[in-house]
This record gives sequence, C-alpha cells and structure tokens, in this order.
Amino acid sequence: MSTLVDDPRIMEFDVRTDEMLINMGPQHPSTHGVLRLVLRTDGEVVSEVTPQIGYLHRSAEKIGENLVPRQWIPYTDRMDYLAAMNMNLGWALVIEKLMRYEPPEKGRHLRVIIAELGRIASHLVAMGTYGLDLGTFSPFLYAFREREKILDLFEEVCGARLTYSYITVGGVTADFPSGWLQKCEAFLDQLVPVIDEYHALLTTNAIFIKRTASIGTMSPEMAIDYGCSGPVLRGSGVDHDLRRDGEDIYTAMYDGYAFEVVAEKDGHYPRDHQYPAVPHEARLGDSWHRFYVRMLEVIQSMDLIRQGIDRYSLATDGHGEPMKLTQKLPKGEAYLETEAPRGQMGFYVVSDGNAIPWRARARSSSFSNLWITGQLCRGCLIADIPSIVGSLDVVMGEIDR
Amino acid sequence: MGEAIYWPSFFFLLFAAVACAFAVAVLLATNIVRMAFYLVVSLSATAGLFFLAGAEFVGAMQLMIYVGGTMVLLIFGVMLTSQERFVEMKTWSGDWVFAFLIGAMLLMILIPAAFSVPQWSGLDRAEVASVSEVNMATPLGMGLLGVRVDQLDRPHQPDVAAQPDGAESQKEPARQVPIQPGYLLLFEIVSVHLLVVLVGAAYLARARRAN
Amino acid sequence: MALYLSNFMWSWLAYTIAALVHVVLILSLVAGGALLFIWLERKISGRIQDRLGPTRVGGKFGWLQTLADGLKLLTKEDLMPEGADRMLFRLAPYISFAASLAAYIAIPFAGGAYLLGAAPWVAQHVNVGVFFVLAVLGLEVFGTILAGYSSASKWSLFGAMREAAQVVSYEVPLGMCVVVPVLIAGSMDLSLIGDRQAGLFTNWLIFHDPFTFIAFWVYLTCATASVNRAPFDLAEAESELVAGFHTEYSGLRWSFFFMAEYGSMLSVSLLAVILFLGAWHGPLPIATWLGLTAEHGAIAMNLGKLLGLINLLLKAVVGVSVMIWVRWTLPRLRIDQVITTCLKYCTPIAAGMLLGATLWQYQFPSRSFFGLTEVPQAVYHLREGPQQAVQNSGSSPESREGTDVPEDEIATVNHPARRGGQVSASDTIPQESIARLR
Repeated sequence: MSTLVDDPRIMEFDVRTDEMLINMGPQHPSTHGVLRLVLRTDGEVVSEVTPQIGYLHRSAEKIGENLVPRQWIPYTDRMDYLAAMNMNLGWALVIEKLMRYEPPEKGRHLRVIIAELGRIASHLVAMGTYGLDLGTFSPFLYAFREREKILDLFEEVCGARLTYSYITVGGVTADFPSGWLQKCEAFLDQLVPVIDEYHALLTTNAIFIKRTASIGTMSPEMAIDYGCSGPVLRGSGVDHDLRRDGEDIYTAMYDGYAFEVVAEKDGHYPRDHQYPAVPHEARLGDSWHRFYVRMLEVIQSMDLIRQGIDRYSLATDGHGEPMKLTQKLPKGEAYLETEAPRGQMGFYVVSDGNAIPWRARARSSSFSNLWITGQLCRGCLIADIPSIVGSLDVVMGEIDR
Repeated sequence: MGEAIYWPSFFFLLFAAVACAFAVAVLLATNIVRMAFYLVVSLSATAGLFFLAGAEFVGAMQLMIYVGGTMVLLIFGVMLTSQERFVEMKTWSGDWVFAFLIGAMLLMILIPAAFSVPQWSGLDRAEVASVSEVNMATPLGMGLLGVRVDQLDRPHQPDVAAQPDGAESQKEPARQVPIQPGYLLLFEIVSVHLLVVLVGAAYLARARRAN
Repeated sequence: MALYLSNFMWSWLAYTIAALVHVVLILSLVAGGALLFIWLERKISGRIQDRLGPTRVGGKFGWLQTLADGLKLLTKEDLMPEGADRMLFRLAPYISFAASLAAYIAIPFAGGAYLLGAAPWVAQHVNVGVFFVLAVLGLEVFGTILAGYSSASKWSLFGAMREAAQVVSYEVPLGMCVVVPVLIAGSMDLSLIGDRQAGLFTNWLIFHDPFTFIAFWVYLTCATASVNRAPFDLAEAESELVAGFHTEYSGLRWSFFFMAEYGSMLSVSLLAVILFLGAWHGPLPIATWLGLTAEHGAIAMNLGKLLGLINLLLKAVVGVSVMIWVRWTLPRLRIDQVITTCLKYCTPIAAGMLLGATLWQYQFPSRSFFGLTEVPQAVYHLREGPQQAVQNSGSSPESREGTDVPEDEIATVNHPARRGGQVSASDTIPQESIARLR
C-alpha cells in the first residue's frame, strides 16, 4: 500500500539523490479534473504514486441532511457529472426502497432507456478522454459528436444537457415527448457503424495496443480486494454486474431484459456483435481490457435500449408521479448500490421520520477504483500513468462529492 | 569600386573574436550549463571560421560532432549526474596558475608552428579567393580509399606508360591505377574500436539491480 | 549577385544588399511557411475531426487565423518562473529558431546548375549541403534542452531529457537514410543530387531501386521523430508532461518554439523532396518541353527555375501535410517504444537499405526506376561529364582548361569547380574511382 503524504516537502528531503518528487495535478491536462498524483520518480520510472483528493469537495452529503430527497437530486447530478442520469437513479431508488414504493411499468422501462443512454454517453467520454491521455485528439471529438446527440435527446426530455435532475423519487419529471422514441432509434442505428470507426481508430490501432496492452495489469483478486467495480472489475474478468447480481429492487428494473454481463469467461467475451478480437499482447486485467469492456458495454446498452423501447411502447400505465416535497419519510435506514457507468454507486439514507433525511451518504465507485493506482503504477513509466489512470476512468466530482 | 571593407577578413575577425570571447566566458562562468552554452557558441564560431576558409566539410563536421553531439551528451551527463539544480563550479587559485602555465605553453608552441608553414603566409587576396573553389570534401574520402589526391595531376602513371597499347589505356585510364590499400580499413577498425569502448563503458556504468 | 551589383555601387554595399536579399527571402519563407502550416494544421485537423476549422478571420477559409493568433501571442504577458536561469531562458527559443533557420542557408530551391545552365537558387552553395543541413538541424535540440533546463520546472526538464534522447538516437538512422541518395548521386551537393533526378518521374531516387524506396519511408519516420511531431512528440507530450520543454513559456517566446518546429518540418520535407522525390523536377519534364532551359536565354531559364521552385515547394507542402495528417490520427508512443523503434527497427533497416543500395548501384550502375530504365543521356552527362572531359583532353594537364569541351556538355562547363576558370584535380577523382570500381 502506498502511504499518504501530508507534506510533500518533508518527503523531498528524505528522497535518495537520484529520485525526483513530482506533482501531477491538480492542474494537469490528463488528470481528469482536479486529481493530484504525487509521483516519486527515478528518471522516467515511477517508483510510487500517491493520489491526493479533496480539491472538489462541496459537502454535498452534509447538504443532503438539510434538504428533502427530491431537492437533493440536483446535488447527485454533480457527483458523476458525466453520468448524471445514473446518479439521479441511484438516489431515487434508495428513497423508493426506504418508502417501499414500486414505480409503474412504463416508468421502469423509461428509466432503463435513460440510464442506458447515460451509460453510453459516459463511456463515450471515457473513450474520448482516454484517447487524449494517449496523445491522440481526434477520437475525443468523434466521441463528443455522438455524445452531443445523446445530450440532444436528453435535452428534449428534460431541458438540460449536463445536470438533468430528470429521474426523481417516484418516477421521472416528465414523460418522453412525442416522436422521441423514433429519434432515439435513429440515433442507435447510426451509432452502429460509428463504433466500428472507434475500433479502427483506437481499439485495434497498433500504437494504442502498444500503449495499453499489459499496462496496469490487475488480477481479479486484486480488483476485488481493492473494492473495484464496474468496467474496472469486469476488465479483470470478474463476472459481476449489479444489473444482474444486485438487490431485487434494482434488478427488478431489468426484469425480463436479455443481456449478458461483459466479462471475459474462459478466454472469450460474450459475442452478440461483430467486434475486434483481443490482441495477443493484451493480458486480462490490463488497460486495454478495461477499455474494451467499456466499448462492449456501449453495444450492450444499445441492445438494452432497443428492448426498453419495445417494452415502453407496449406499456399502458403512467411513468410515475414524483414524490411530494412535504411527504414524510418512514423511520429507518436504507442502502442500495446501483450499476453506474463507473461502477457500483451506493447511496445510504437514514430517516428519523421527517421529510428531511437524518443522514445522506454516497459510496463512490471512482474512489475505490482510483485507489488502486498506487499499486498499479509502481514501477511504470511516467507515460503509463495517464494510460492507467485514464483506463480507470475516475470522475473527481464523485470522489470528492 | 571602393574596397572599403574586405569581407573575408571582417568575418574572420568577427568569428575569431566571438570564439575567443566565449572561450574566456567558459573559463569565467561558474554555472556548468552556462559554461556548456558558452562552449557551444565558441565552437560554432570556430565552425564559422572553417566555412569561411572554404573547408565546408570540416565546418559541418565541427557543427555535428562538437556542437551537436558532444554538447548534447555533455548536457545530458550534467543533467543525469547533478544533484542540485544549478551546479556551481569554483576554480581554485592554484588551478588558475596551472591553467595559465599550460595554456601559455600551448600557445607558445602553436603560434610559431602556425607561422612556420610557408604556404600559410604571404598569400594575396586573389589566391585566397581561389582557395574556396578547390576545397572539397572529395579528397578526404578519396584519401580514405587510398587515392593520393595530391599526385593525381602527374602526367603519366608509370604502369600506364608501360602498356604496349597506349590508345586503349587512354580509353580506360582508371583501370590501370594500382589499387592502394588506403586508410579506410584502419579508419573502420578505429571506429569499431571506439564503439566497443562506448558499449563497454555503458555496460560498466549501468545501474545494478538487486535481482 | 553581389558581383553583379558591385558593378554599380561600392562592393560592401553590394555584399550587404545581396546578403540581405537572401536573409529576407529565407526569413519570409520560414515565417510565411509557419503562417501557412499553422493554418493548414488547423484546417486539416478540423477536417479530420469532422469540424470546419477556422472560418472567420480573413474571409471564407479563415486564412488569417494564424495572424490573429500571432497578434494574440504578442499581447500575452511574458512570464518567467522565479527560479529560472534568466539568460538561458530568454535565449533558448531564439537558439531553436536560429538553428531551424540556418538549415535553409544550404537548401537549394531551384537547381538546374547542370541541366539548365546556371547556378542553383540557394543562399549559400555548400558542396557538402546534405551534411550541413543535417548538422544544423541537429542543433535545434540545443535550444530545447536549454529551455527545459533553465525553466526550473520538472516537467520542462523531463521534456528536454526526452528530446535529447530522442534526437540523438534518431540522427543515426536519419543520417543513414540520407546517405543512400548521396551514394547514388555520388555527391553531397544538394543541387547535384536534385539534378540527378531530372526528366521523368522514373528518375526520382525513391524509385531508383527497392532499397531507396524503403529508405524513403524510414527517412520519413525518422524525420518526423527528429522534428518532434506526433506520434513522436514526447518532448511536449501534453497528457504526460503538461507541455514538456515549453511548459513555462508564454507569448512571443513560446511562438518562437513553434516557428522553429514548423521551420524544421518544412526543412526536413524539403530535404526529403530533394533527396528522394525529384527535387525541383516535376513528374514530367514540362519545363524542358516548354523550352524553359538555358539554351533559350536567361528569361526562359529563370522561368523554368521558377517552375522548379513551385514544384519543390508544392511537394514539400505535401510532405508537411502528411506529418499533420499523421499527427491528428495516431496516439503517442512511449519513450521506450520510441527508442526501440529507432534502435531496433529504423537503424537496422536503414543500415540494410544502405548496404542494399550499394550493391544495387554496383550491379546496375546506370539503371533507374528499379532497374527498368536507363539513366537518360542528360543525366548521364552529369556524372560522366568531367571524366569525358579528361578523356577528351588527353593526359596532358595543360590542355585541360575546359575550352575544348563539346558544347552539348553543359554539365561539364558549369561544374562548380570550373566556375573559377580553373579545374582542380579533385574533379576527376570520383569518376575515376567509379570507373575503377566497375
């Protein structure tokens, strides 16, 4: 385990003569926001990496003790701001669990469609910024071009493009506008060939493979020990996805949907789509696999959305009424983890019977995923650090809250 | 019209002044990177002198090997070995005395040596102007191959004259030149030797890891 | 030029004006080139990335965008870190730029010294031009290293170290690739190498034999690496080293590094074109067909040269565009992979190509286009000319004054060593030795 450094100046005095102590961040182009990595390097070789967090702390959890659950929804938007829909969903579900409320059928499929669109949007950013980390700019803009289309769809349903506050306790703020589903399907149709472009530009690119294959290899045991989740965990070949393995109140949402968890089993990924083969340089659990899992999850999410659209069209009941602001919460506590794009996002709420929760907490997947960098980056080169940290795809807003 | 300024002399003096001034600056500087920088300027000015003399090959060589290669390696070495950011070097007064003695002795040898070469003195400007036309790199390469450049303008090769059919030998005169050993092989041996030394030095200096 | 001017004015003024004209021409080429290439880079990257690129400044295509950028850079605050070595920090960008600029001194822009009948368009004719350009281009790294060292920033230092390691190692295969055309042309004189490729595109040295063909691509790779362009842009690797060696630079000083970068890009492209891609000769000898040669007077000749200049610059711009295209497509290599590419692939391949080209030249000395065509008569003169002169003049040195050379041998008349009105012995050496080797 890497040790926490309180004052880097103290460290600088006891480093050996040929070592250098470098601050990577919080103002650094490749640290995805305000992450600060303290590197101890011997030339280009990194001997120790210590992540320093807290530069984006906004006391969101404390604020949650002073707001009713629906008022706290905008604060969850700003946790993982790249997948705000999934954050909304996590908080909404935990309150619904506390209240033992079940959303209507139509609202359930609507949430699936929105959550999976959010996952695609998030993974597109992960892909594009990973390209940036490796020094290629163009995939980033290709990714954002498609993400913008998703944001257009989101804008139509809720009026916002980044912080939606759309999924809320009890349902969603508004139903889909008319014609939205056709637009959504059209988007999915045109995304299929674009994904092949991404594969050509990054996944199968010789330099990309050189930069990612066998870099930052994480064994399944290590990934579990560090509490990693999401694509980071599945990239190590652990077959675990809360949409299938989670609590009933969450898996009920995906009840009846056909999907296979994207994780390598017996040397193979589930193949429901044409995508490139694993290069021979790649080892299970390396940066390349983590990237690849995300790319496959985009295809998986597209499939889920298509299923959701079919089911949504068949459903006849409403999309669910948002909970009243003055409604009192039942006394007790509830904790629920959902499968956000970056991993298991947990929300915890304790209520003393008032409308305002007594305690609101969030468990961030990025936090656990980030903390393994100290282990993964030991002995790597400086250039591998963006390659590893980028493949973990952390969002500081979620870690610092 | 007017010959107010004789340009070759002007540039010679300019380059020579720069070379000397920065050579002195190397001595006076205490910061090792600045020393390296001054040395580069001094060596570049020397390269300029070579170009001025029409020895373009030597000038380019000077730029490439001394200014380019050696200085980069020197800086590299300084950066790799220095433990503080800006390394300061102080010269002891005893060292100054020794340096002056040795420098003065070298100068005393070099100056008479330079003036003792008869070809280097008494040239008029027309002769100087013609120098740059004949100084090409080719003789150097040919010399390495064993061709005596300085003897090529001899009217008859002995063995050519010995040939019974003079007309045929005129068509292919070059075939008759006996192949001389040249210096290329020796040159190669020396360079390979240097390479071996470099590899050996790198091997000896490499960091030893525990496992 | 200076000699011509000195008929009208004092010689010192003539020399000064002649020198100034060259300086201004080269400076405007480099600065204009940088203006064009930065615009081109923005435009090409825009198109590659499904954007338009600049569209507003200066009309429809945003072609004045670079100028606007330059004005913005002028107004930026000139920052200097507190712990910096102030003198070296100030000097470093100018050293980079000066080195990049100096390479243009020896690059000929239109030749025809031998075929068209007059001196090439070059600021200073250097008979070891190839060597000189390589040597000077290698100096650019010095500015980078000084910048990295004097910035008092660890990121800058890392960038400088990477640059030094990279440039020093890539000079080896680069030099070897350059030697291949030098070997075929039998000269280090850039204008001579260029004119060796006159006529149809089949005479271009890239098509001379399979080895030169591969050597060209190795040269392109190494040249990209030596001017620090992606995927070898490790010295300024944004995602790793913030901005590498120029992290601490701002404003005009920063822009000098970029002028140097674009200047070097153009000069290595020019070198590639001169060495491999027919220099100032187009794929078809249109200038000759149109009669724009020395036989038809000075105006025709200079028009032909102008055509050659345009030809050369167009090809060089294509070369730069390829570098831009590559930059916006590929991810960046890691430092160890860059060095591996150099030492394990480029250097052995370049060495092999050098050996192969030597053997090919030995086996098919006067063939071109992969051995399929003859080297045309005009080009043949170029190489054989002086030797024929020797044969014509017999063995007596007195008669070798160049007066009895047949008129059709323009090549011989204009040989640089003859311009001084005398023939040196060294002229005859390469040809004799070539003949002996056969």
